[in-house]
Amino acid sequence: MVEEYNMDTGVLTRRAWRRQTNMGGEGDWDIEIGDPEPTRLQKEICVIKEDSNQPFITRRITKNILEWRIRNLPYPLDVYSVTADSENRCLIVRTTNKKYYKKLTIPELDRVNLVPQQDAIQFTHKYNTLIITYKKPKEVVLQEKIIFEEIVKKVEAKPGDKINDCKVS
Amino acid sequence: MAAAAAAKVQEVREITRIERVGAHSHIRGLGLDDSLEARHVSQGMVGQVSARRAAGVVLQMVRDGKIAGRAVLLAGQPGTGKTAIATALASALGYDTPFTSMAGSEIYSLEMSKSMALTQAIRKSIGVRIKEESEIIEGEVVEVQIERPAAAEGTKVGKLILKTTDMETVYDLGGKMIDSILKEKVQSGDVITIDKATGKITRLGRSFTRARDYDATGQQTRFVQCPEGELQKRKEVVHTVTLHEIDVINSRAHGFLALFSGDTGEIKPEVREQINGKVAEWREEGKAEIIPGVLFIDEVHMLDIECFSFLNRALENEMSPIVMIATNRGITRIRGTTYKSPHGIPLDLLDRLIIIPTVPYDQKELQEILSIRCEEEDCQLSDEALTILTRISMETSLRYGIQLITTSSLIARKRKAPEVQMEDVKRAYELFLDEGRSVQFLKEYQQEFMFNENDEDESQMEIN
Repeated sequence: MVEEYNMDTGVLTRRAWRRQTNMGGEGDWDIEIGDPEPTRLQKEICVIKEDSNQPFITRRITKNILEWRIRNLPYPLDVYSVTADSENRCLIVRTTNKKYYKKLTIPELDRVNLVPQQDAIQFTHKYNTLIITYKKPKEVVLQEKIIFEEIVKKVEAKPGDKINDCKVS
Repeated sequence: MAAAAAAKVQEVREITRIERVGAHSHIRGLGLDDSLEARHVSQGMVGQVSARRAAGVVLQMVRDGKIAGRAVLLAGQPGTGKTAIATALASALGYDTPFTSMAGSEIYSLEMSKSMALTQAIRKSIGVRIKEESEIIEGEVVEVQIERPAAAEGTKVGKLILKTTDMETVYDLGGKMIDSILKEKVQSGDVITIDKATGKITRLGRSFTRARDYDATGQQTRFVQCPEGELQKRKEVVHTVTLHEIDVINSRAHGFLALFSGDTGEIKPEVREQINGKVAEWREEGKAEIIPGVLFIDEVHMLDIECFSFLNRALENEMSPIVMIATNRGITRIRGTTYKSPHGIPLDLLDRLIIIPTVPYDQKELQEILSIRCEEEDCQLSDEALTILTRISMETSLRYGIQLITTSSLIARKRKAPEVQMEDVKRAYELFLDEGRSVQFLKEYQQEFMFNENDEDESQMEIN
């Protein structure tokens, strides 16, 4: 797992997980927060992938909210509905024209063992993008604070340490 | 109207025939019945009854999967169906069992040592069936668009639109995917799943909403509901990968470098050992299952003495596959030595082999093969033409006879005949020399060719 923080604001800008594979070798990255991996030279000739005009999701977090941006969604605002599904611990994005459907998991809530609440959800639509925001519960804010302080402590304990000097291979 | 109908027929043909006709494309299996007795003419195979029966026994051995490291030698004159039997065995094994086919000369490469190439070939022939979580796309096909480029070259472009009851997505298709979609004849209304990593397509059935599209549906057409929810799901699926593929994934130098070069390069023996250990572990835990396959080496006399001794050793490993080798040589020199040995194979290896001989075809069998080939190559032959072609094959060779099928049918087409007549075969026979007549010709006109002043004993071909 890799995390990138903005040290001025203390906000996480990127978190990615290496996917586990059964067969050994290195899996691809799962991006939890931040921009998706840029598409570069594909390892193999692509078999099947979504068209570049299809919707894709990026996630961001700020101090008080969790945010999803679903780009390439051209339909007007009243088409969408976002509901909290407490049973499956996720948000469900639906469209009345049956063009898009997505279950969004919220790992932050899972980690503090909370279920999503409907009244924390807000969404808007602008420039072909559906923006969904979810207000962080105070448990999440508290936990993030503790983790960040821990990290700061680690960094300050060893000033000039080779944090950015880790070997690539 | 007629033109439109003709265009339609053209289109249908294009879909059904995407493979080209190869030398052995008429073979679909070994042609054995349940008791492994060979039927005289079946699944594209003709005659060679005892050899096919023996291959059937080998097939049973592979299917049981218990015996490791046996080797089978197919020996026989040129054109007696050795490669045909190997091809038949491959198609009888089913897609899940690995079958690697190579020619003896393939191991000589500047980039890879001979033993490396052989090890890779051996490890490509051992499959591991393993459960892995994989991304699956499951949905109803809305539309398949495949565009061929206007010029003959260039890659095909394909798009596939899939939907569930809740969503709809457009996918871009790669070249391999387009081929398998054409092969599976996927059309709108089908409910399919696609394994995103391997591109394997499974057809679940037709959607209920399309049930009224045609009055006549095949008996086996199954109707299913359009799936719900998201198109893309994570599911545990059973994959079959070869040991070589696991090697490649795990050898680190490659993972990154292979991006640019694309070739496999050297795989360290340590990596292999590690993987053998890991696979054995999975097997004990019940996570994986080993499927030994078949390695077929054609023209095995092209291997040299080092390869043979390597094979000797490799066959003793319990992870080794069934090795099938074929040669058309009699007693000849072992490559890389001055010793002579039967089939050009050292005696110690020969001792480990079970040998299946193939014998020349008789006239009836030749005729049968020729008529099968006519069908495969889409040519109409009159009875007389077939008889004379059989005669030609008897006197020259079966391969030459097969060459004359398409050539004479092209000649017949030029004179707008619906069927190939005797005269067309005769004309083709005059136009194209067979090996015997060509030798005859050379003997007569030797003096007029270049470099003919070389004296006799020096002109012997260097083979080592």
